[in-house]
Amino acid sequence: MNDIQITRRLFLQKTADAARTSLFVLSLPTIMTSSAFASEAMQMASTTLSVLNADEALEFTAIAARIIPTDETPGATEAGVIYFIDHVLGTSRTEALAPMREGLSALQAQAQSTYGIATFSSLQPEQQDALLTAIEDTAFFGTMRYMTIAGMFSLPEYGGNRNHAGWDLIGFDHAHVWSPPFGFYDAEYMAKGE
Amino acid sequence: MAQASYPTREPVDFVVIGSGAAGGIMAKELSTAGFSVVVLEQGPYLHPGDFTHDEWAVTQNEELVWGSRKGHPQTFRRYEHEKAEIVQGAPLGYAHNVGGSTVHFSGNLWRLHPIDFMEASVRGTIAGTNFADWPITYEELEPYYTKVDWEIGVSGLAGPWDPPRSRDYPLPPMPVKSAGVLMERAAKAMGYTAFPAPVAILSKAFNGRPACIHCGFCNGFGCEVAAKSSTAVTMIPQALLTGNCELRTGCTVSRINTDDAGRANEVVYWLEDGTEQAQLAKAVVLCANGAETPRLLFLSESAKFPDGLANSSGMVGKNLMFNGSTSAAGLFPEEINGHKSIATTRVIQDFYSIDPKHGFYGGGGIDSRSLSRGLPMAAAMRGGVFSGATWGSDFKRGLAREFTHTASFNGHTTSLPLSTNNVTLDPDVKDKWGRPALRTTFMNHPDDIATMKFFTDRSMEMLDAVGAIQKVGSYAETGQTGGVHLLGTCRMGNDPATSVVDKYNRSHDVPNLFMVDGGSLVTSGRGQPTMTIMALAFRAADHIIQAAGRNDI
Repeated sequence: MNDIQITRRLFLQKTADAARTSLFVLSLPTIMTSSAFASEAMQMASTTLSVLNADEALEFTAIAARIIPTDETPGATEAGVIYFIDHVLGTSRTEALAPMREGLSALQAQAQSTYGIATFSSLQPEQQDALLTAIEDTAFFGTMRYMTIAGMFSLPEYGGNRNHAGWDLIGFDHAHVWSPPFGFYDAEYMAKGE
Repeated sequence: MAQASYPTREPVDFVVIGSGAAGGIMAKELSTAGFSVVVLEQGPYLHPGDFTHDEWAVTQNEELVWGSRKGHPQTFRRYEHEKAEIVQGAPLGYAHNVGGSTVHFSGNLWRLHPIDFMEASVRGTIAGTNFADWPITYEELEPYYTKVDWEIGVSGLAGPWDPPRSRDYPLPPMPVKSAGVLMERAAKAMGYTAFPAPVAILSKAFNGRPACIHCGFCNGFGCEVAAKSSTAVTMIPQALLTGNCELRTGCTVSRINTDDAGRANEVVYWLEDGTEQAQLAKAVVLCANGAETPRLLFLSESAKFPDGLANSSGMVGKNLMFNGSTSAAGLFPEEINGHKSIATTRVIQDFYSIDPKHGFYGGGGIDSRSLSRGLPMAAAMRGGVFSGATWGSDFKRGLAREFTHTASFNGHTTSLPLSTNNVTLDPDVKDKWGRPALRTTFMNHPDDIATMKFFTDRSMEMLDAVGAIQKVGSYAETGQTGGVHLLGTCRMGNDPATSVVDKYNRSHDVPNLFMVDGGSLVTSGRGQPTMTIMALAFRAADHIIQAAGRNDI
């Protein structure tokens, strides 16, 4: 993964340098090549954890799965949101790691005192929802929601949004080039000559 | 020709501080006229190949808009008697890079109308505010609006909706999006006029740059093909090609020094590694935006200028205006796909001036937009607009429908200038350089809020007129807490007692210091200030060049 990321960075650097040297900028084919290269790097997202241990990952996965559940379509679990969470807790959000662990401990204590089970992931979905509803206004839940959504809809190279599960859910097609019509109403407008 | 390189200990003709909407234009105009110019920019020079669709990096990690995470905390409070608190993100939002916010803006390039320049005379002053006429008229600025159209590349359609123009747009309008079609239909039903949004985005190739490829990551993002007419791809390259302009990036200005005669003669700045440098200059053009410009003037205080440089009026930092903004989101039966192409394609300005019989001052325009700028993560973060759910299965199902099926009619409205709304130096919080953080004190005038309500109501009616299944309107009912239009903080005027710069953007107090950016605006206009900032820059440059020619700087 590292090799590919570095190569991609060098590639983008090169094209940027090319643009720098003249008033002319990237042509369409260059952009297409660039984005194809980027997609290749994205397929290489990590499947190992960097800062969370397996037990923590299981618990956070269970919480994320209540925020964006798996139902008729894939949810946070299938999207690999946990790998995004692990990645950002180890990089741009290191300050959140300790509070997230504390929040998890508090949630587990609540699970123990309410249901006599100390692992959130072992509870029934209804029990999980009840516990989460009770802590909806806490910073811990807010951060979980934030990271789950960010992981669901960010570029797959961050570890989540696997197979574009998040984007597919909402009907977002990731492309660098579109041409009109973009939607139903402008297609109709063009057809009718409004 | 290679970029110029100047020694710091010999005075250059001009140091331009900031390389955004105004700074980029000043650099190009002054260097083209043959002057030696050094441009100091605190951010990097990003190029099309540097820009991505990375929503996490750009919108959540402050890649373009620096805030606390990047060592630039800002504080906010409502009223002057309160203690300001650090706010996550940046209440005063702007991009830190060559091209400034023209790199990531939506490209909306509305001109002001003739009324904007003389509204206090026509409409009367408003008690408790600094509402005033501009020292210039629309007619005086019009040639420079046209110059912006042709120098940077603006797409649009001339028509009766436009204020008088001396020349057609250089480029045809951008293709209409579904939200724009719905706005046009709603307008027809209600007797309004929807017209193509004038935008600084190329509908066809122009001046060696390609047409827009409609990638959708536009508002808030840098353009990966340079179809957005930012000054980073228009003015700055031209400035560098003259051989007279040196662009220094990663240079954060700490103060402007003056000589015994009270003239600006040196600009002190830090390199990224903290090394201090100082460039001697014959004149200084300060284009750091409506937040950073007043901060720098305050930081440049001295025995001769105890209240900050160029602040004998006491008006530096005051009259901060953001423009009001409102949103009315409508859910429609068919696909809108707001995530494709540019931010907006249709505008109505039928309420440019709200009838005074309503009992408050205000006006603006409404344009067709997408849900949360058409950004997947931003839309999801916001929560189910129509389901109301913020997590769980209902939330998920709501998102699945609303992301592609929502059109938004957004209002862009007036703000009144008040002395109590301002940018000052925070007494406690410091940035990574140890400078006092930007402190914002802001509470809207009641008329701003009444105007936002008026525009939300009109937008909701329009959504009904065109068959929205569900609709949700919102505006800052309790007052705005920040903005990206940073206006009024170095206002222009003829009277040195009540304004900071004269009608040509020259400081009343320091004859070789010019302030050119959103701070110059006397009133807020109707929501899209960049075109006017750019036109003022071209006009100021013309006059600076003429003044230099007669040794009058």
